[in-house]
Amino acid sequence: MKILIHNLNILLPFFYVSVFILYSLNFWKPKKSFSSAKRILLFFTILVHFLYLLARTIEFDHVPITNIFEIFTLLAFAITLSYYILELITEVRNTGMFILFIPMVFQIVSTLNIVDLLTVQEILRSPYLGIHVFTALTGYAGITFSAIYGGLYLMLYKQIKLHRFGLLYQRLPNLELLESLNYTSALIGFIMLTIAISIGLIWMPQAFTSASYFDPKLIVTIFIWILYAIGIITKIYAKWRGKRIIYLSLVGFVIAIFSMTILNLLFTGFHRFH
Amino acid sequence: MNLISVTINHKTAPIELREALYFSENEIRENLRQLKESLFKEACILSTCNRTEIYGIPADQSTTFRDIQNYLLDKKPIEGITSNNFLNYFSCGAVNHLFHVTAGIDSLVIGDQQILGQVKDSFNIAVEENSVGTYLQKAFQAALKVGKRVKSETDLFEGPTSVSAAAVQLAGKIFSDLTKKSVLVIGAGETGKLTIQNLIQKKVSNLTISNRTSSRAEKLAEKNKAKVLPFENLKNSLHEFDIIISATSSKSILISREEMNSVMRKRKFAPVCIMDIAIPRDFDSNIKDIENIFYNDIDSLQSMVNLSIEGKKVLLPSINKIIMEELIELFSWYNSLQISPILKAIREQFESVRSQEFETFKNKFNVDERENLELLTKRIMNKLLHNPTVYLRKSADQVDTQGELQLKINILKEMFNLNSKGNERE
Repeated sequence: MKILIHNLNILLPFFYVSVFILYSLNFWKPKKSFSSAKRILLFFTILVHFLYLLARTIEFDHVPITNIFEIFTLLAFAITLSYYILELITEVRNTGMFILFIPMVFQIVSTLNIVDLLTVQEILRSPYLGIHVFTALTGYAGITFSAIYGGLYLMLYKQIKLHRFGLLYQRLPNLELLESLNYTSALIGFIMLTIAISIGLIWMPQAFTSASYFDPKLIVTIFIWILYAIGIITKIYAKWRGKRIIYLSLVGFVIAIFSMTILNLLFTGFHRFH
Repeated sequence: MNLISVTINHKTAPIELREALYFSENEIRENLRQLKESLFKEACILSTCNRTEIYGIPADQSTTFRDIQNYLLDKKPIEGITSNNFLNYFSCGAVNHLFHVTAGIDSLVIGDQQILGQVKDSFNIAVEENSVGTYLQKAFQAALKVGKRVKSETDLFEGPTSVSAAAVQLAGKIFSDLTKKSVLVIGAGETGKLTIQNLIQKKVSNLTISNRTSSRAEKLAEKNKAKVLPFENLKNSLHEFDIIISATSSKSILISREEMNSVMRKRKFAPVCIMDIAIPRDFDSNIKDIENIFYNDIDSLQSMVNLSIEGKKVLLPSINKIIMEELIELFSWYNSLQISPILKAIREQFESVRSQEFETFKNKFNVDERENLELLTKRIMNKLLHNPTVYLRKSADQVDTQGELQLKINILKEMFNLNSKGNERE
């Protein structure tokens, strides 16, 4: 089983890079053969990644959430699966290159650094933690999508304003759709983060004797949550739209990435389990 | 293929001549009937604002291009037109020209999106008038297939080919669903009309027209099921519209930057797309700096059209490949029609010799042996015919531009003395 896990761990970056290359080629040169090939490869990447996560969970007897590099591979999976579903249910076909770059990077970093952990804390077997991690990861996937579609909105906005009708103008979906994807993803991300934070706050004192409400990750996550709450409220009540809301979602995303990488590496809070 | 085509188009004649030679649907129907009685066995007429073309299979060998040109000029006497204003095509050339037309690369602006539908309509009229037989049916079906393949396999029909189409396409890059957007067209001149046509093609239903002369706006609105906005109320109502297309002949600016600032405040800065295709411009061009105003004038829209046309030219090699593939397929079919009678005749002649000889000699064999003898002679005959059959079929699969296939057929006819048998069909 371990050999399988190690082989899949090495294979996954190749899958992600290949998918990214196919989506990029299709962005520059839209061909029908690329269109179907890229989606088939994306499906197999998700399948292989799922097998990898399943094998890890069975072999090491815990869900892969015990350290940042396990979280990275899980997040790469969550973003890729969400994008696949988005492609299936909407007409958005040409933005995969921008989205799939993120899980590709997460997976490469994870593959290079991940280690086999056989002994983990008992706390990691709690079902509450499972829901907490699932909602937190879906939340992060949501805000990643929101930021990418926000970035694409800004790029297309600029292209149209400056009367540049080149490749980006031709390939990207319309501004209204990009804005709607930015908002919907942010909303889903916000709801999921709300659930993740709520479960965390209720369950934390019971599970960790050393838990502190001043855990840096908790503080930053609540800050991100407030930022998105402001964005959603102003969108609904103050009818904010376009660039202002998008800037807010981009700031939220940058802080989220900061929280996930720098904070996890620098601080030894209760969010580290090994 | 004995297909003849005579055309007058933007390459050969100015618009006045093309307009004068235009045939309405009723005229096309009437002329198809007359052409079938006089010059053609099969005929089809294509007539648009940019071209009038006649395609047909001549009734006899004596029909010339000049006869067809004279027929056209007899029906539409035009001063100043000469034979130089016509292009004449024959056989493979005629089919090749038709394929170029349906592919949209023979149009005034490469990638014309309407021509495929116009060819289809012309063909349907010809079918309804019973002026289409096997050859024209096959040629036009192949031509329509070329158009469909170009549409599905390339991006030729994707970009805009006119300023008004560019304006509508740009609006579609800002808003998801144009049918739900409120659109204002200021000006009821030719440009305004063209833009309205493009908007209606995109199924825009919430359409309002405003014009200084209200009667013209009302007339245009009635024709296009649009509302009319009195010109004096224009400035107070601008905030109600998501897309504004302005094409007036006003000599000065109609809407200033300050006025648009106030409009945007009323709209709570909801995006608005302004296409100023008037010369001189109707809007102060400085409005382009205001957030969520997407302002385009005729220059930026024209640059979009130019870019689109340049992009389409890159596609020509792949479109020509599609045309070539369909030409090969059509002429393989046609050549197979050519060789079928000759193959049949040769086979019949061989069979006749074989059965005669069999009858002559069968009595020298007993009853049991006769069956084997018949089988043996048939096998010998089939083996002898195998190579010539394969060779002829292979020849038929190749595009025959030099008449080589016909030459081979003629040699075979002479070799086997088939002139009285093998050419009934043609």
